[in-house]
Amino acid sequence: MSIKLRGKGVIAGVAIAKAVRLEQNLDKHVAAYIAGSVEEEAKRVAEAFDAVTDILEENVRSLKEKGLGEQAGIMEAHRIMAQDPMLRGNAINRAENGDSAPRAVLAAADESAAMFENMEDAYFRERAVDVRDVGKRIARVLLGLKGPEIGEEPVILCGEEIEPSIIANVPAEQIAGVTLGQGSTTCHAVIIAKARAIPTVVGLGSDLQNITDGAQMVINGSTGEIFVKPTEDLLKHFRIKIAEQEKLKEQYAKLRSLPAQTTDGHEVILAANISTHLDISSAVKDFGARGVGLFRSEFLFMEHNEAPDEETQFKAYKEAVEKCKGELCVIRTMDIGGDKPLPYLNIPKEENPFLGWRAIRICLVRRDVFMPQVRAILRAGVYGRAAMMLPMVIQLSEIEMVKEMIEEAKTQLAREDIPYSENVQLGIMVETPAAAVMTPMLAKHVDFFSIGTNDLVQYTLAVDRMNTNVSYLYNHFNPAILSLVKRTIDAANANGKWCGMCGEMASDPAAAVILMAMGITELSMSAPSIPRVKKMLRSISMKQAKEALDHVMRMEHGTAIREYLQKNFSLEA
Amino acid sequence: MEKTLTITNKTGLHARPASMFVQTANKFKAKIKLTGKGKTVDAKSILMIMSLGLQQGTDVTINAEGEDAQAAIDALAQLVESKFGEEE
Repeated sequence: MSIKLRGKGVIAGVAIAKAVRLEQNLDKHVAAYIAGSVEEEAKRVAEAFDAVTDILEENVRSLKEKGLGEQAGIMEAHRIMAQDPMLRGNAINRAENGDSAPRAVLAAADESAAMFENMEDAYFRERAVDVRDVGKRIARVLLGLKGPEIGEEPVILCGEEIEPSIIANVPAEQIAGVTLGQGSTTCHAVIIAKARAIPTVVGLGSDLQNITDGAQMVINGSTGEIFVKPTEDLLKHFRIKIAEQEKLKEQYAKLRSLPAQTTDGHEVILAANISTHLDISSAVKDFGARGVGLFRSEFLFMEHNEAPDEETQFKAYKEAVEKCKGELCVIRTMDIGGDKPLPYLNIPKEENPFLGWRAIRICLVRRDVFMPQVRAILRAGVYGRAAMMLPMVIQLSEIEMVKEMIEEAKTQLAREDIPYSENVQLGIMVETPAAAVMTPMLAKHVDFFSIGTNDLVQYTLAVDRMNTNVSYLYNHFNPAILSLVKRTIDAANANGKWCGMCGEMASDPAAAVILMAMGITELSMSAPSIPRVKKMLRSISMKQAKEALDHVMRMEHGTAIREYLQKNFSLEA
Repeated sequence: MEKTLTITNKTGLHARPASMFVQTANKFKAKIKLTGKGKTVDAKSILMIMSLGLQQGTDVTINAEGEDAQAAIDALAQLVESKFGEEE
């Protein structure tokens, strides 16, 4: 009988494979282990430490050769732990006092892990996983086990936590999916899975018990759904999804290196919306993104119980800017409000957070939180092409205040002898009707606009799209929206500035046609949407697009515009 | 012999700086100890060093005994003072 479970999907994609439970196996083997004399066990412990140190050294070397720097760095830390005199001394000591070799090693690792778990700093607390990982590795050598039993067939790895070394060292083809009991999306295992685009669901908690070792299972990394021992019907359904997934991947691969260019040679820049600097590599490599049109910096602010310091932000932005390889990286300054409260911002409970104290309105009051971000972006600009984008702007004074802060930041940095860039572009999100209406004036004061359609549609049409009674009114082809969008693009172009779009409308292939005709420079979207939009733009000419634009600008009904565009510009499956 | 100095790099003794510290310490024969936040640990153990949870601004004392003690202290102090090569 099929068991349905639900976790949090963190890495998209569907996988069907057998489950490999990671922790279970070890306990069984430890119980079955036959210990020798006290001296023998102590000697075995020492030998196992040496053996694992050698293996890890070899791992670090081969990971580095493959250019997998992130994994190599993690394994390097493990190697040093395997050589640690305290861990080793503790384990040998336990063996000399009568523990079997594997028990001695695991207990010593647990003791060190417990020490980390009690530390205040979240970073150090998470290192407990690494110490336990090293302990388990050594115990496996003692037990004669070669890591998890993964054969030819790809498997779905399941565990409360998964030792990063396992994911890093098993060939990507052999891991179909990852399922974790714990819910952190920033642990090493998830970071590595993300770099390899392995479908991943986390946060199963005690439901993990329902997954038995060797059972067939389906995981959907997009929705967080998991089916253990799925029925034939479910399997059929998901096999079709996988086939679609594969077919799409092939199509994308063909489009990746081609420009988003019309048949008559007009090109639009297709960039990626990202949430962490870790998302960029895949956006560029797998989907052909040309830079980043929206880096949602608030995720840096939501990870911790205090505001991220300048150095943490600088590192993330620098890496993002570098990974854009000469293309622009647009960093949106913190966009948080009462709907996602952060303890350190002390936002009082609001009746109406979307009309309340949020985004730039917080930044201009809480300079202690905003200044480090301004400085970090200016510094990151040294490493490539960076831009700073302000959310929720409604009037010029907000831009002027930020400009003053930028000047102040530059003065500080110069005084402290810290390098920064003079070429960081400053732009605003056009997502309030006020900003959109005033773009002909605002264009004189910024380097670019990026239209945030999700909020612009909600604010302009006064529609909460989550409210099922009114969500039918939400339509980015409503003439009021098209008129504001066109006004914004015209204002930018008339002033020699550029205009992009980073809302969901940008990922609608039919919308891309008329946006291009209006003269938009850049469309930014979640990376997996890029190939679809590219496919559309490559299939039409600018002449066709302009004709369609002329036609829809004369139409009076939003629903009719949507139907017209979807009928004339649909992507055949 | 010993030397007291302040951790000035931003991340404190996180995994990377701590492993640099331990790797340097292991190059010397001297017995080396690190004291911080009121605890003294073996400077050749990354786990012990990380267990101190040293952050930016913490004062630490490096103590070494043995034939190459002075060289060890100099090398480790230099590492701390150079902020472990972290960019500013």
